[in-house]
Amino acid sequence: MVVPTAEPSDETLAARAAAGDDHAFEEILERYQGRIFRLACRLTSDTDAPDVLQETFLQVHRHLPSFRGESRFGTWLYRIATNAALMHRRARARRPAEPLEAFLPRFDGDGRHAGTPAELQLASRADELLDRHVLAEKARAVIARLPDLYRDAFVLRDLEEMSTADVAHALGVEPATVRQRVHRARLMLRGYLSDLVGVRP
Amino acid sequence: MKEIACASGVELLMDYLEGVLPADLRSALDAHVAGCPRCVAFIASYRETPRLIREATATELPVHLQVSLRAFLRAQRGLPP
Repeated sequence: MVVPTAEPSDETLAARAAAGDDHAFEEILERYQGRIFRLACRLTSDTDAPDVLQETFLQVHRHLPSFRGESRFGTWLYRIATNAALMHRRARARRPAEPLEAFLPRFDGDGRHAGTPAELQLASRADELLDRHVLAEKARAVIARLPDLYRDAFVLRDLEEMSTADVAHALGVEPATVRQRVHRARLMLRGYLSDLVGVRP
Repeated sequence: MKEIACASGVELLMDYLEGVLPADLRSALDAHVAGCPRCVAFIASYRETPRLIREATATELPVHLQVSLRAFLRAQRGLPP
């Protein structure tokens, strides 16, 4: 019988890696490479994500000795990855994105929702109503169409499920600003999903 | 108590769901939603949106990229492949 041994914490591994333990570094890589790749795909593109991933772990290696444990290791690493992704994106000529304003909710003259309840709710069934691969492709394309500021906040808060406080810290803005940006992104994406399943938002 | 319409209610949703909405606005929104099936439906889809997009964009790191990343980082650290 194999007795399960306690996994060393991220912080323990970070300390060992900083002291030159190659196995510890590779264990960190093993733990986080998948998550950082996914984050990079969401913040940049499938094409750019491998470079962002490489750049992130290169920086992790370089800066590990200065990791002081003031935040959790994961938070520290995500901040490095987010910055690497944003730098990478800035270096790219952005093709003008087709705006998503058309997908914001619509109201009648009295400020009431324009759709019926059944229409308004339909977006939440996008995964039942659409082919999984189609939805995956559309979702990747649509987050790239969000204005950058909304995209960054939405990806970190809602897709990576970081706390609003951590997102605010990572992006260097106030929590209220994060909430406002995430809200706008949710409204646009909700409307987009609604449109995909055949109902004007 | 202040009455609100769907349009102004929508603008309060994020703060409402994060639990940072002031109590008076929270009660006003609760009161509106209780009598508005449209808002109930809208809020359901608003809440589901992050999950739908999260699941649809949950990509896996391909094995060949794991291999090249590891090789790159070993080379950077002066280690054999």
